[in-house]
Amino acid sequence: MSTYIAKRLLAAIPVLFGLSIIVFLIMAMIPGDPATAILGSYATPENVEKLNRDLGLDKPLPQQYLIWLGNLLQGDFGRSFTLNRPVLDEVLERFSATLILAGTSLVLCTVFGLLAGIVSAVRQFGWTDRIVTFFVLIGISIPSFFLGLLLILLFAVRFKLFPASGMYAIYGGGDLPDLLRHLFLPAVALAVIATGVIARLTRTAMLEVLRQDYIRTARAKGLSERKVIYMHALKAAMVSVVPVIGLQAGFVLGGAVYIETVFQWPGIGAMLVKAISTRDLLLVQGGVLFVAAAYVFVNLIADVVQSILDPRLKS
Amino acid sequence: MTTAVDTDRPADKHARRPSAWQLLMNNRLAAVGFYVIFVIVFVALLAPLLPLQDPNATSPADRLLPVFTDGHVLGTDQLGRDVLSRLVWGTRVSLLVGISASLLAALFGSLIGLVAGYWGGRADNLIMRGIDMLMAFPYILLALAIVAVLGPGLLNALYAIAVVNIPFFARNVRGVTLGLSRREFVDAARLSGKGHVSILLTEILPNVMPIIVITASTTVGWMILETAGLSFLGLGAQPPQADLGSMLGQGRSLLFTSPMISIIPGITVFMIVMSINLLGDGVRDTLDPRLRAGALNRPMPVTKINRRTTPEPPGDTGAAALSVTGLETSFESTAGPQPAVKGVSFSLRKGECLGLVGESGSGKSVTALSLLGLVASPPGVITGGTVTIEGRDMFTLSESEISAFRGSKVSYVFQDPLTTLHPLYTIGEQVAEAVRAHRPVGRSDAWSKAVELLKIVRIPEAEKRANAYPHELSGGQRQRVGIAMALADDPDIIIADEPTTALDVTVQAEILRLLQVLRQERGLALLFITHDFGVVAEICDRVAVMRFGEIVEAGNTAEVLGNPQHPYTRRLIACVPRPGQGRAFLDGVRELPPETGRTGRT
Amino acid sequence: MKKLLFAALAATALSIASPVTAQQTPPNVLVVGQIAEPKSLDPHAVTAVNDFRILVNLYDGLTRYKDGTLEVEPSLAESWTISEDGKTYTFKLREGVTFHDGSRFNAEAVKFNFDRMLDENHPFHDTGPFPLAFFFSSVEEVTAVDSLTVEFRLAEPYAPFLSNLAYPTGLIVSPAAIEEHGQDFGRHPSGTGAYKFEEWQSNSRVVVSRNEDYWDGVPPLQAVIYRPITDANTRIAEMLSGGLDVMVEVPPDSLQQFRDDGAFSVYEQAGPHVWFLILNMKEGPFADRKIRQAANYAVNKEAIVDNVLQGTAEVAAGPTPPAFAWAYNEELEPYPYDPDKAKALLAEAGYDGETLTFYVTEGGSGMLDPITMGTAIQADLEAVGMKVEIETYEWNTFLGEVNPGLEGKADMAEMAWMTNDPDTLPFLTLRSHAFPSEGGFNSGYYSNERVDELLDEARAATDQARRAELYKDMQEIVQEDAPWVFVANWKQNAVTGANVQNFALQPSFFLMLQDVAKP
Repeated sequence: MSTYIAKRLLAAIPVLFGLSIIVFLIMAMIPGDPATAILGSYATPENVEKLNRDLGLDKPLPQQYLIWLGNLLQGDFGRSFTLNRPVLDEVLERFSATLILAGTSLVLCTVFGLLAGIVSAVRQFGWTDRIVTFFVLIGISIPSFFLGLLLILLFAVRFKLFPASGMYAIYGGGDLPDLLRHLFLPAVALAVIATGVIARLTRTAMLEVLRQDYIRTARAKGLSERKVIYMHALKAAMVSVVPVIGLQAGFVLGGAVYIETVFQWPGIGAMLVKAISTRDLLLVQGGVLFVAAAYVFVNLIADVVQSILDPRLKS
Repeated sequence: MTTAVDTDRPADKHARRPSAWQLLMNNRLAAVGFYVIFVIVFVALLAPLLPLQDPNATSPADRLLPVFTDGHVLGTDQLGRDVLSRLVWGTRVSLLVGISASLLAALFGSLIGLVAGYWGGRADNLIMRGIDMLMAFPYILLALAIVAVLGPGLLNALYAIAVVNIPFFARNVRGVTLGLSRREFVDAARLSGKGHVSILLTEILPNVMPIIVITASTTVGWMILETAGLSFLGLGAQPPQADLGSMLGQGRSLLFTSPMISIIPGITVFMIVMSINLLGDGVRDTLDPRLRAGALNRPMPVTKINRRTTPEPPGDTGAAALSVTGLETSFESTAGPQPAVKGVSFSLRKGECLGLVGESGSGKSVTALSLLGLVASPPGVITGGTVTIEGRDMFTLSESEISAFRGSKVSYVFQDPLTTLHPLYTIGEQVAEAVRAHRPVGRSDAWSKAVELLKIVRIPEAEKRANAYPHELSGGQRQRVGIAMALADDPDIIIADEPTTALDVTVQAEILRLLQVLRQERGLALLFITHDFGVVAEICDRVAVMRFGEIVEAGNTAEVLGNPQHPYTRRLIACVPRPGQGRAFLDGVRELPPETGRTGRT
Repeated sequence: MKKLLFAALAATALSIASPVTAQQTPPNVLVVGQIAEPKSLDPHAVTAVNDFRILVNLYDGLTRYKDGTLEVEPSLAESWTISEDGKTYTFKLREGVTFHDGSRFNAEAVKFNFDRMLDENHPFHDTGPFPLAFFFSSVEEVTAVDSLTVEFRLAEPYAPFLSNLAYPTGLIVSPAAIEEHGQDFGRHPSGTGAYKFEEWQSNSRVVVSRNEDYWDGVPPLQAVIYRPITDANTRIAEMLSGGLDVMVEVPPDSLQQFRDDGAFSVYEQAGPHVWFLILNMKEGPFADRKIRQAANYAVNKEAIVDNVLQGTAEVAAGPTPPAFAWAYNEELEPYPYDPDKAKALLAEAGYDGETLTFYVTEGGSGMLDPITMGTAIQADLEAVGMKVEIETYEWNTFLGEVNPGLEGKADMAEMAWMTNDPDTLPFLTLRSHAFPSEGGFNSGYYSNERVDELLDEARAATDQARRAELYKDMQEIVQEDAPWVFVANWKQNAVTGANVQNFALQPSFFLMLQDVAKP
């Protein structure tokens, strides 16, 4: 197993490496430059050119990339042009905020997606199934940014149950309950689509597994229906559900862009949107690398879990 | 997936198989989705002909009128433009972009997937690494960056969304293509000198098409959401053109004062996406061969029982371990119920071995499964008859009562142990589980009992093998595991459903000997289901011959074998080749009675 | 088991949901909802009004604007004298002022500040960039005559000098802090202002606390917390739910809601802001003055101001906003909304229905509601027969497209400026020598010799009455030439909780919190 993990981690390196080149190329292709963003309204072409020179952006692209790569290998992610602080500081702060949000959402969507999928499969065509299916459909059809706005409108403004934005209260906060309070609405808004996807998939996988011969065998043994479903069927269904949970990590990280914007969550998604618009190349690089690494890592975990679940995959 | 149930299912599908369209419309949710999206598309297409106001005509003085204002049914937006008109025109744009993006993504994604899957090897590796990169890039940021490169505008947003979604098509199509390109018909085409392009287009593409359609139908909705998302971030339609996302995005700043102008397009996006998803699910269910067979139905713990007749069992049940009277089982299908077992009666005495013989599709397996309600249901229904064990009618028992019989009084040994053993549990666990199913045995005791059972069925190195998974064993060993499981709770009756069919002759002989020994040692009654009279001759005391769901002949094995009354029995006996028989064997087999009103399935 | 799970979840939800109603800000702490995270707290490195709102409370300049006006009064400089030729300014500095880091404020510190910005060889010049350093480009040399006297020598007379000193670019930072933090000074600011920097938590808040030693009287508030909330709706939601005491730049449509609610006070203040369309005079239809005038007649500015902006702005008559009261030409009447006249002018000029490209931004400093306004303008122009195609750009891209000039790209572009002196805007955007190729912002290539002369003369004149005359003449000519479509002058707004006292908005758009109290 450990060699497998090591191999997978090694395989991730070229992906991340290639990604960093893609980011560099895309950023180079975007018209405009960070100098304009730094100088604001007063950016004359002359000033822009001078500033670009000061920032080393007049060098040929390959050279810029190599400089960046060289620094990266020494653990230096460079300095953000527009924020005027080290990229790593900003990215780590932002990234941990996103991890809290996306991680919570991933847990929520996994737990509720699985529950809903199982219940819906077990009670197929019953009322529970219909209600779950209905909500799942709503979940996967509603634009998450729209849902976010509705949640704010309803639970923050109308009922004042939750704060409308931010990660911590400005004073007196900072503890765990405070974080949870701020986390609740955005995490829910972010989890909804993925919950729907996982629930649907779990339902299908469960139904498929429940038709398998070995389920009949389990029943023929006289096992209780609970054991048949929650041990035999669920374990087999998880084999196809787990990688999808891994894929959902990508969607959750992507969806975080909207949710962080709507809820003012100080995460990396909102940072990247802004960094792209201000052409803050190094910040985009650092941010994308972290997000991509997280994605690769979650999928690695999913694959490992899958191969633990299914001994056939090892051979 | 070939299961005993499938094999024995009546198969007059050709007769009245509903068309794909009918299947789709039979799915109520899909039909609702279809009608909703149809109406939306219809209205959007007719936008130029409808008596709508100019969607771009501003009238700042009339801004933000509420819904149901005279002349503005859905009110006006921040510039006094008619929301209804903008909604209709905007829907038109959003649909167009979403669908075009899907088509583009489908085209290029499938192309990449086909190429990667077909050539495999290095090309595949390289392409899939690239796809991995795209997937590791947060999709919305990628779209954002692409739009930033290309400049603003709806068309560019369309390209961005298409690019972002290429990986999904590529991955799905590649997986299927990879499987297909190793198949015989592709090799055959290659050998016949067809070029790569021609093979891809004529051999592989038609087989991949359903996957493409399914992926497309399930992603269109998602694409429309993403288009809306990009427009919401201000990267889509350029003003004054309306599209749902930009209406939502621009209305958002007025969310607290005039929520309707963002809620209306929000709900419209939601309706479109939801109806497309419903329809997409329907399309998937219709096209997916697995789902097509009987829709994905969850088999109930006990077969559905809906008996029209409940005949009294014959009086002498005292001597019988099992007695079956007038058993009828059918399968529900869109074309009505298809009877599979039509009034079968027999009994099994204690310690006796009864052979139930018949071809595939004769209903023998369904009969066996019906005894303890193990026929998958839906579609199976027990429509009549009684099964009596220990004086109780099995079909009157509750779920938990019947569970108490399963494995403890009556246990099953199934055909094809690769599919009937759980692939993810070790064989030791599975046997131990059977041990614990009806008795309060501790884990470690159960485990040692399981090892003991594995020894009884002569699994070599049982202690070690108990930790093996089914796929690590040979077919014969797996079958022994099946038998060990059946013995776990000292049952009175074992129902063995073609336990040796999948095995080669020497292993088959060993298994039969094992069953024979166990039967004699433990005084078990054995119901042995097979199509092979040779096997019957070897172990059965009595035999019943089944055809088309009915028992056509029954009696002592020696009598039936020696003097078969029914032509079908004769043919079955003739199917057992004897050494030195020569061409006469073929003549015997050829004596097929004409089949009545049904197409056979092998 | 399931029930237990749901019960547990419900309990958690309740426990984290309940105490929010208690969300009230503590007394003597003012929470301000900002529109964005500050870029830097180095006053010389920033250009955004949003950042100025923090900076003017952390730092003082040599001069400052008198409360409620754009007139200059002493601040760190107690008094000053200007030489006859208008080229030498001598400031007498306030005594006994210290920076928050404890170092002393003196003439050397002033010299350090300006040298850092202007002298490329200054050891700390690399702590820049300093985008607005050109405000002081006429400064030739700064000399510390003695510890409390500092002398500025200008290359030529430059009338806006005193006003520019009151601008954030003229705020005085602590040299000791720059020496200590170098490039990171922007995150470890130190000035002489009424509030001291406490902490900057990225993306969450900037906290400043009362400077107990403030030379101009200790402020009543204990602390001010600036929260960046980029989304206007979220800002409103926070304000409504009691998480903010002050919110700036309230969207026009929400203003009424706050007006109607006794728990809030609404403030409005006109300022030196002008929102206009740059017209490309180098090529295309707008090379013709009649067509430019037609555009001015065709746009219904009243409707934009009254309806789209809900009265949060007034119709602009010319290039100079009325907030510069002394320099504003009262006789100037805005172009009336007259589509018929526009059509007539178009016909007269022989406009052939050529499609016009219109750059619209999605947001940006002072741009108000640019997409909606752009769309309204587009509809108005279409109504008189001009075909207009909008291209929207995110603000930074937009600037990157517009500032280098519209030639070959677009016929018109939205733009807005907020300035501190009547000289700044026309000097940077309307002179023949301010073409983008010469480092200016005249992106539409307006060129009128008379205007050039008037502006040059006004810049050198030290007499305000004379300057006023020159600017008034300039406004008349520019209005007639119509290089822009003059659209609106914004009135800045803010909402505070009803318990916030002594709050006032300034015409400078600065958010001065020195006297604000919140018991």
